[in-house]
Amino acid sequence: MTDQFDPSRMDPAFWRGLTQRRLSRRQVLKSAGAGAGALGLSAILAACGVKSVVSGNPSASPSPGAVGSPEWWAKQTQAGKLNFANWPFYIDVQGGKHPSIEMFTKDTGIKVNYREVIQDNNSFFATIRPTLAAGQDTGWDIVVLTTNSPVLTKMFNFGWVIPLDQSRMTNFNQYAGPLVKNPSWDPGNKYTMAWQSGITAIGYNAKAIKRPITSVQDLFDPTFKGKVGMMSDNQELGSVGLLAVGVQPAASKPADWQKAADKLKQQKDAGLVRQYYDQSYIDALQNGDTWISMAWSGDISQAVLNGHKDLRLVVPQEGGMLWTDNMMIPQHAQHPVDAMAYMDYVYQPKVQAIIEDYNAYICPVPAAKEVIANDLKDPATANNPLVFPSAEEAARLKPYYAYKSEQELTEWDNLFNAIAQS
Amino acid sequence: VFFVVPLITLLSLSLQTGSIDTGFRLTWHFGTFWDSISTYHVQFIRSLEYGTIATVIDLLVAYPLAYWIAFHGGRRKTTYLLLVLLPFFVSFVIRTLAWEFILSDQGILFGTLKSLHLLPESFHVLATSTAVVAGIAYNFLPFTVLPLYVSLEKVDRRMVEAAGDLYASKKEAFLRVILPLTIPGIFAAFLLTFVPAVGDYVNASILGGPSTTMIGNIIQSRYLVFFDYPTASALSAILMAGVMIGIFLYARVLGTRSIEEYV
Repeated sequence: MTDQFDPSRMDPAFWRGLTQRRLSRRQVLKSAGAGAGALGLSAILAACGVKSVVSGNPSASPSPGAVGSPEWWAKQTQAGKLNFANWPFYIDVQGGKHPSIEMFTKDTGIKVNYREVIQDNNSFFATIRPTLAAGQDTGWDIVVLTTNSPVLTKMFNFGWVIPLDQSRMTNFNQYAGPLVKNPSWDPGNKYTMAWQSGITAIGYNAKAIKRPITSVQDLFDPTFKGKVGMMSDNQELGSVGLLAVGVQPAASKPADWQKAADKLKQQKDAGLVRQYYDQSYIDALQNGDTWISMAWSGDISQAVLNGHKDLRLVVPQEGGMLWTDNMMIPQHAQHPVDAMAYMDYVYQPKVQAIIEDYNAYICPVPAAKEVIANDLKDPATANNPLVFPSAEEAARLKPYYAYKSEQELTEWDNLFNAIAQS
Repeated sequence: VFFVVPLITLLSLSLQTGSIDTGFRLTWHFGTFWDSISTYHVQFIRSLEYGTIATVIDLLVAYPLAYWIAFHGGRRKTTYLLLVLLPFFVSFVIRTLAWEFILSDQGILFGTLKSLHLLPESFHVLATSTAVVAGIAYNFLPFTVLPLYVSLEKVDRRMVEAAGDLYASKKEAFLRVILPLTIPGIFAAFLLTFVPAVGDYVNASILGGPSTTMIGNIIQSRYLVFFDYPTASALSAILMAGVMIGIFLYARVLGTRSIEEYV
């Protein structure tokens, strides 16, 4: 039997609706307004809240079949491409190309979309956070975040990192150095492999400054008035302040933070500080806008290679701050197998040597030293203690303070940000 | 919808408490507003100050410029206007970075002057409030020129001639005919320049120094670096309210009344 249109069987309410006076647009708006009023402004306002993140438990091993478990990894297949978000000037460059990436593509058939999009941990995190919170793919298969940043802990705590496939880490297991293998921030390398480590130390212009620079106190020398560059990053700024008041950052107490902040405030009020910089501190140092500056180890080596021969880097006698940038696969990444392949690939000494010879940060693969010295014929880099530090030199490098709570982080941030931004 | 929804979200956020880890919940916590004001009033005042100075500079530069183009531009009027607008074809940030490069201590300008010993070695413009104000004034100049040009162009030339016929000197004709007729244009130019100038943060971060932080920089870092959404929202709301009150007062004093009187 076909359903024929029979007006008598229609719901009377529908007829009423059809025959009733239509609402004008104005009336609709008005009643919507009244409705909103009835609901109460608070309900609307409350609906705009930012939802909390259901936090995963980072220490528990993934349950069978969960994302990152061996079963899950077994089901993933290689896609032949990979999106890699990294920091600027952080990989070998030759004629506008990256030879180490081209080698990787030739060996594995995986194309790499390499993008230098990370200017600092926080603002990069701000760009991927909403997508991750919504449970969607960020578009990146590998991201690189730093140990000294609270953002790394957030990524772990929120369960936003895919646990690595431990069976695809053969090069890493064989060649990774003691600084990056089974590190304190990621026991057993469950989530991360290091990209590079580096030192926050002091860079200076030997043409403008004739005397030797040896100490953190040199950043506070009144003769360099208006020519001192400091970093705006709270972790970096606070740590150098602590070193300057003679406290080990990792062992510091909130009272020490206040002392460090006072010291930094004096430095600023005396007009010593030119500016609190992000990555651009290196431009200021190269331009001559600053003579002495907080600096990251590899940047200075690269600047010297690029023709700024007067720039020098010293690890002050108080010690340099050691950080490590870590590669990880964010949740919902589309090409995890390709990402694993790449992350392990760079741990081959011959590949790492190419990257390191350009970067001059601290090499995660000690065996690359031989390759740089013998095959690449660059003894300067191979013997550079900033690239391959001896155990003794490594001991002079200091870890950052580990925040015990969100309140501590807020206290630290407010204290030091008030100096960098005022 | 595109205006109201973000606005409500903003107000809502400013009244919430929590952190990015635990989420934000609406608690009607008005304390955020007072805390923001007491912590950042220096930057607020500085922003208003920079914005005002930059706007005044822009008006002083733009008025003669627009006047000249409108009255003496002749056939090449459009070309001159295009020249004013030309920098707009390059991104705002790139233009500011170019100034940073030009004005750097050992850069092409000061480096040369210093090597000729025309300037002391310690002289610098970057990292001073002068640099920030100049940067803002430079970047927003076209916003000032265009409305002024439009209103000057609209001035009926016969009125100026009539003023001359009634034995008004050129100066008097300008002061008593042209200037009053272009007051609405000045008001529009003021709005278009002052509002974005106060909220600007690019100039302060590129050309500024340790003590030139503007409120825009604070809002940006509160949002993107500290994920402190309530404070950032409260600051934005205060800034918006402050600018709106300022404009309202200005409109009452100079804007609407003058428009009614003269037009």
